[in-house]
Amino acid sequence: MSTDPIGSTDVVATPTSVGTEAVSTMGLDQDLSADLAAASLVLARLFSAGATLWCIAPAWEPHAQHVAVEFVHPVIVGKKALPAVALTGPDLVATVRMSVRPGDVVLAVAAADQPDVRSVMRRAPAWGATTLWIGSGERPDAGSADHVLWLDDRDPRLPATGGFVLLYHLLWELTHVCFEHPGLLAPVTPECTDEVCITCSDEGRLGEVVGPGRARTATGIEDVATVLVDPVVPGDLLLIHAGLAITRLDEPGAR
Amino acid sequence: MTGFLYPFLEAEERDQESLLRDLAASARAKAAESAALRASTLEANAGLVATAAAEMARRFAAGGRLFTFGNGGSSTDAATLAGLFAHPPIGAPLPAWSLTADQAILTALGNDVGFELVFARQLMARGDGKDIAIAMSTSGSSKDLTAAFREARKRGMYTVGFAGYDGGEFAASPDVDVCFVVRSQSVHRIQEAQALLGYQLWEGVQP
Repeated sequence: MSTDPIGSTDVVATPTSVGTEAVSTMGLDQDLSADLAAASLVLARLFSAGATLWCIAPAWEPHAQHVAVEFVHPVIVGKKALPAVALTGPDLVATVRMSVRPGDVVLAVAAADQPDVRSVMRRAPAWGATTLWIGSGERPDAGSADHVLWLDDRDPRLPATGGFVLLYHLLWELTHVCFEHPGLLAPVTPECTDEVCITCSDEGRLGEVVGPGRARTATGIEDVATVLVDPVVPGDLLLIHAGLAITRLDEPGAR
Repeated sequence: MTGFLYPFLEAEERDQESLLRDLAASARAKAAESAALRASTLEANAGLVATAAAEMARRFAAGGRLFTFGNGGSSTDAATLAGLFAHPPIGAPLPAWSLTADQAILTALGNDVGFELVFARQLMARGDGKDIAIAMSTSGSSKDLTAAFREARKRGMYTVGFAGYDGGEFAASPDVDVCFVVRSQSVHRIQEAQALLGYQLWEGVQP
């Protein structure tokens, strides 16, 4: 066993090893297969409830298109066509913001440090979207996306070796297996909290400023008092409690 | 604890746990199948990869350029391959383009001369005898791809086909210099192995 906690940094130094050994023999460990299973069931549930799958991959755009075409035009005759769209081109954050509706899913194929994808992932809860993040190398911070499907190999050429293709093919295959279990596709409804006083609760919802005193949240555009966090500009992320923005959640330098 | 009140809830949860277990096991089995196919494909094609990479390197050195194309998911894999040559994470860029990148050209050709010629006409306009054409396909028999290879052959280009199943028309075509066949019946597993073969080709072209 290597004592190097990363283990694969030397793969970069010996450019011939990735294709033949690391990738071709790459198996799927228990954790990643469990992550794929969970992501597939959630995706099937959201599709059943009317979701659209929005796919982004700023550095390797064809991956976003490959995911979309899998779902829209299945290779197996008889599997149902599902709404999936690749979003490409400049100003990706604005494009996703405009496209996503509450209940939709955003799937990214990107490295953990890709700035547009980081921004989309942070904003997605304010848009009411569930997020899936496929990538390799250094992992995104815990909680960066609802489902993280990750290959830990740090070789920067991995995105061109078919490893990601395998992951999203499996995601498609497992999602369609879930459709064979309609009894398990009902949306998971959170416990009813109608009786709880919001002011006294720990409620804190993400909102994205759309204009003066107005923020977009998972449930729509709403009024929000910003006295505690002013000045704010459109695109700022706020934590909202009982109609009051209590703190800002912007990263330094984030849009 | 609430089982005696809501027994159906526990039954549903048990069903969900068992589905998730089945899904995870299925994912591992498919991944193992994919890994085995990739390994056997690389082994079976090692000589062809070396031959094709050497000829491609010779052509790049002489000013040749690479055009890649395919349909559907294979078109995206072809675009990823062109991107690897053109914008490699490591190493020097080489001139490479995907012929599906421009929707104006694709739709103009598809509408005016027919979909079968969407790639052939682009090679007619852009390709010359120093260049390389790579088509990725699972059937190996798509009409737009075989038409493009016919045109590429006419122009003296080096032609590399990726196919699945038994190789389809690519395998027997005099228009195809090198044909990589991924011996599988699954479109997904074929594409995964082709991606790795394409990567190997790129790696073989590196100095």
